[in-house]
Amino acid sequence: MNRALKKIIFTTVTLSVLCYIFLNDLLQGDWSVLSASWDNLETFWNESLWPPEWSMLEARKYPECGSSIGFFCSKAYIGMLETLKMAFVATIIGFTIAIFLSPFAAKNLTSAWVYIPMRIILAATRSLPSIIWAIIFVVIVGLGPLAGVLAMTFYTVGYLGKLQYEEMEGVQNSPLEAARAMGLSHPEIVANVVIPESSNNLLSQLLFMFEYNVRHGSILGLVGAGGIGFYLQFYLNFLMYKHVMAFIVVILVVVIIIDLMSMYIRSFVTEDGDVKRPSWSTIFLSPNQAKKYHHGKSEEE
Amino acid sequence: MSSSELILSVENLTVGYNEELISKINLEINTGDVIAVVGPSGIGKTTLLRTIAGLVKPISGDIFCKAPKRGGIGYIPQKLGLVRHTSVYHNVDLGARSGSRFFSEPKTWFKRRSERVTTAVERMGLSDKMNEPVRRLSGGQQRRVATARTLAQRPKLILADEFLSELDEDNISIVLDAVKEYMAASESAMIIVEHNIQRATEISTRLLQIKNGELVEYNPSEMKFDLDGGLI
Ligand SMILES: Nc1ncnc2c1ncn2[C@@H]1O[C@H](COP(=O)(O)OP(=O)(O)OP(=O)(O)O)[C@@H](O)[C@H]1O
Ligand SMILES: [Mg+2]
Repeated sequence: MNRALKKIIFTTVTLSVLCYIFLNDLLQGDWSVLSASWDNLETFWNESLWPPEWSMLEARKYPECGSSIGFFCSKAYIGMLETLKMAFVATIIGFTIAIFLSPFAAKNLTSAWVYIPMRIILAATRSLPSIIWAIIFVVIVGLGPLAGVLAMTFYTVGYLGKLQYEEMEGVQNSPLEAARAMGLSHPEIVANVVIPESSNNLLSQLLFMFEYNVRHGSILGLVGAGGIGFYLQFYLNFLMYKHVMAFIVVILVVVIIIDLMSMYIRSFVTEDGDVKRPSWSTIFLSPNQAKKYHHGKSEEE
Repeated sequence: MSSSELILSVENLTVGYNEELISKINLEINTGDVIAVVGPSGIGKTTLLRTIAGLVKPISGDIFCKAPKRGGIGYIPQKLGLVRHTSVYHNVDLGARSGSRFFSEPKTWFKRRSERVTTAVERMGLSDKMNEPVRRLSGGQQRRVATARTLAQRPKLILADEFLSELDEDNISIVLDAVKEYMAASESAMIIVEHNIQRATEISTRLLQIKNGELVEYNPSEMKFDLDGGLI
């Protein structure tokens, strides 16, 4: 047997054993909980979850619907739209703040006197989960979307800031050296060398963060910070799980759409994008299949 | 030609990282000098250039550079140091940006820069690639972009690390002619790292060889070679 294979088998076995030990510990040795829970899930799913209460996607009874399409007056649409707006604002503002802070947290761009305090600041905003931030801002600015936006912004700064400075540290050294030898200033180097060099990953982080904020925006409603979460929390309180399920399906669909969009947008900066941008028809194919498809097509052109 | 003036003076310099690589370096470089540094791989040629460029701290000794801090030194790294995801224009403009003064005449800054970029890119024969991302260019074209960036900068001191390798004869003469033309028109000096000794003697006015951790200076016109291009 070759050594690489041995290593893989050893790692797999070790991790499996550790997982088993820890889980056994957590369950206090009582594995019967698991078999009972399967039955519970089945009953719960059949009786309380499925089918979802699709009326959540129809127009509300009050106020009167002004649109000819009822969906645009539904709770699902109104709540989702508010969450999307919140996530959009928070992601853009958070990204902008983070991109100004992260160059001061990157080891290759500043000295330890600067990057260590900056990292502590970023870690501090990140150490509170967004829901705790939401509670704090609900207390400060009151119930509603503003609290949600502020909570998301804070979290976004900490999270994106970390991803960004790690990305910047990965930038090749030689463009930095050429620019430094020329005598360009620190902001000039960041704006003209570091950010363009890492643009691809910065963009995908931005899009990921937007998707993350949409998902988390749904949770923030639980503490009264606006968005679709308001309805989730409302129906959860009354144990109306079929209604909740309808909202969850809407969230899932939106997240998938954002994911597809981010793939498309990123293709503008990746090197693969040089070959051919993925089209809607090939986005579900594997890269190789898509390439074949595109090649066939571009030859026709 | 006007009388040459001192651009760089190096006294008792020792370069290296954790270990000393080259020591007892004493050098005076004047305008018009083209200095070739030769020596086997891993001996510290790149390290010497990086130290002169101010990117690595010297282990000991002093470097006095008369070139202005901003735009005075044009460094072409061995790996070229281009921004891969942006256009040829943007890359060459980095040089122009550092080399042209903003405060003397802020209003014409962009214009002056873009003139420098156009001239340098044309000189390197890359006008049709102006808006192409650098990552899509061939290796030789990328080398010419790096040269254009330094030409647009118009530095007092050019530090070029093996900037002729990977180029075919045609491209070598394009790049060399342009650099020589620049050197003749401006009062500047140049240090080239070149692993091909024969070429180094052809293009340089002074030749420095690294031997046993020290720099030894030769006069290129007195050099003799065996058939393989090795030093006799
Ligand atoms: N950043 C660094 N930190 C520590 N050691 C380094 C670093 N860069 C290079 N070295 C070491 O310094 C020595 C000299 O490297 P240098 O790049 O100066 O060689 P060189 O003469 O330019 O070689 P080549 O002709 O192959 O480019 C090498 O042994 C290398 O491993
Ligand atoms: Mg080298």
